[in-house]
Amino acid sequence: MPTETHPAPGAAGVIHDLGYRRYDGPRLGRSRIVAALAWHSFRSAFGFGRGARAKVVPAIAFGALCLPAVVNAFAMSRGEARLVDYDTYIAVLRNLVMTVFVAVQAPELVSRDLRGRVLPLYFSRPIKPGDYPLAKFAGFTAACLVMLEVPLLLLYAGAVANVHGGGAVWAETRALIPGLLIGLMWAVTLAAISLPLASLTGRRGFATGAVAIAFLLTYTLAEILLQVETLGTHTGPGQPASASLAEKVSGLFSPFTLFDGVRMWLGGTNQANGVPDPGAFGAVYALVLIALVGLCLAGLGARYRKANRS
Amino acid sequence: MPAGTAVPAVPGPGTPAGPAGLASAVIQATALTKVYPGDVTALAGLTVAFAPGVTGLIGANGAGKSTLIKILLGLLEPTQGMAKVLGYDCVKDGMKIRQLVGYMPEHDCLPADISATEFVTHMGRMSGLPATAARERAAEALRHVGLHEERYRQIGTYSTGMKQRVKLAQALAGDPQLLLLDEPTNGLDPAGRNAMLELIGRIGEEFGIPIVVASHLLGEIERICDGLVAIEAGRLLRADTMDNFTRASQTLLIEVEDGVAALHRELVRRGVRVQPFQRALLVPIAGMSTYDVVRDSVAALGVPLSRLEQRRHQVEEIFRDDQQDYQASYQATEAADAY
Repeated sequence: MPTETHPAPGAAGVIHDLGYRRYDGPRLGRSRIVAALAWHSFRSAFGFGRGARAKVVPAIAFGALCLPAVVNAFAMSRGEARLVDYDTYIAVLRNLVMTVFVAVQAPELVSRDLRGRVLPLYFSRPIKPGDYPLAKFAGFTAACLVMLEVPLLLLYAGAVANVHGGGAVWAETRALIPGLLIGLMWAVTLAAISLPLASLTGRRGFATGAVAIAFLLTYTLAEILLQVETLGTHTGPGQPASASLAEKVSGLFSPFTLFDGVRMWLGGTNQANGVPDPGAFGAVYALVLIALVGLCLAGLGARYRKANRS
Repeated sequence: MPAGTAVPAVPGPGTPAGPAGLASAVIQATALTKVYPGDVTALAGLTVAFAPGVTGLIGANGAGKSTLIKILLGLLEPTQGMAKVLGYDCVKDGMKIRQLVGYMPEHDCLPADISATEFVTHMGRMSGLPATAARERAAEALRHVGLHEERYRQIGTYSTGMKQRVKLAQALAGDPQLLLLDEPTNGLDPAGRNAMLELIGRIGEEFGIPIVVASHLLGEIERICDGLVAIEAGRLLRADTMDNFTRASQTLLIEVEDGVAALHRELVRRGVRVQPFQRALLVPIAGMSTYDVVRDSVAALGVPLSRLEQRRHQVEEIFRDDQQDYQASYQATEAADAY
């Protein structure tokens, strides 16, 4: 704590009764300031530094995502095989819970600053205009990563505790790694989509609505298209030999189905969300995903370049 | 102690200030021009220097004060001309300037659902302070602005006056070498305005931090200022030290029991500029001779003299003399903001 003693007479500086002290300690550079802002954003994505109410949604969402891992550990301890896969996890649960999480928490990161009109204070700091969105994106990606990958690690821990032999542990580890990479793809994409949407308005309700609608609407659309196309193509019973082009294209309409297409293109075998194995068409999935993320990030950057000038 | 000597304005656009001006100026603008898209000219060749101490930046709403501040912070690029803050170029070294300058915006800029300590600490970190130092300096800054007791309360529960203090505290947290305060008394009641001005005066004088206070209320900020810079429509109107402003404005107030009109005529006849003021007359003091002229006039007419008083004009009245139109727009805004 600072001492309140006045400097000795004769010392450089002014003696005054208010005890103002100059700061002559180190000053952090731009990169450290951006890192501090990213860390602050990461914390606020979980409601830390704020009241108990701000922590409710993240806590419930996190608990819900961890639940399958816990159930799996319990089941495996009773001798059953692993119930949950690392790459798809529980697809519907993850889609839904992550939609809720980003819809509620992305506005927490960006809309609050807009609402409080705090941006001019950030821009008057020694950072560049692009640093603010960059820090927010980094912080929120990290938060999404925690939401997606801590359950995977729990799942892994539960599995490893219940298998025997180095070979089995190695098999679990090899299955986990693609799961973690897919989690990273999710985190980057979800943060990239939700932040620019939330940054459109300072009203949290609207921002949450915009993000939720964007994810739910596109997901519903993709699912409907997938089902219609599946029914149209495969009238007979039994496994389809290969999916039609229309079916593959249907999967491009939602981030969640895009993830599945890319995942299978990269060698994932489990089907989820009704997305057919795209085969070589998976490259299109990957391109669309990269373009989507790039577009969203460009939009986010442009949003704050504009704000900086106003 | 701040030097308290504002550097006189450099006449004529483009003329660089003298070496003395450059050495002591904290802000130096040269032929600064900013034209917004749509041909809106916010600054038109502004050349001015700000000395250490507390300097009032006065001008009506839309005179270009906020634009000037944004350029000084390196957030806006000037269309033409250049500006230096603490010796750094505003276009090239904006980051360095923002590290050294504390800025208090005009409008609300505080989130409601966070405590003042938490917020000022965060803003200190954004100024480049390490976590521990930011926490310490936030507590100190809040103590200096008089919010020590309430610092753990949510900002949303604060009064307007307290919010203004938080805005000042966040500017102070990074230990700035210059403070830019944009309309710091905005939205405050008379008591709140006085308290805020007193606080700014103390920060300037006792903390030794140079301060630029932008305001459209000249009468209000003149008492805490060491110098004044007046701009209108993006142009420099006048820049000088407070001393020079008031020295130039010394007048003699003459009050007589009756015969005011006759004395007025007599003084004018003797070549004195006379201005009626309520039931008295105001005469600018040109030197000791002014007293002689007044004495002789009064004696010649034999009017009963009841009061003869040397009077310091308020700065505002000087502008009224110099710039009738300008002052009219001033009074309009002042009337709108009158408390």
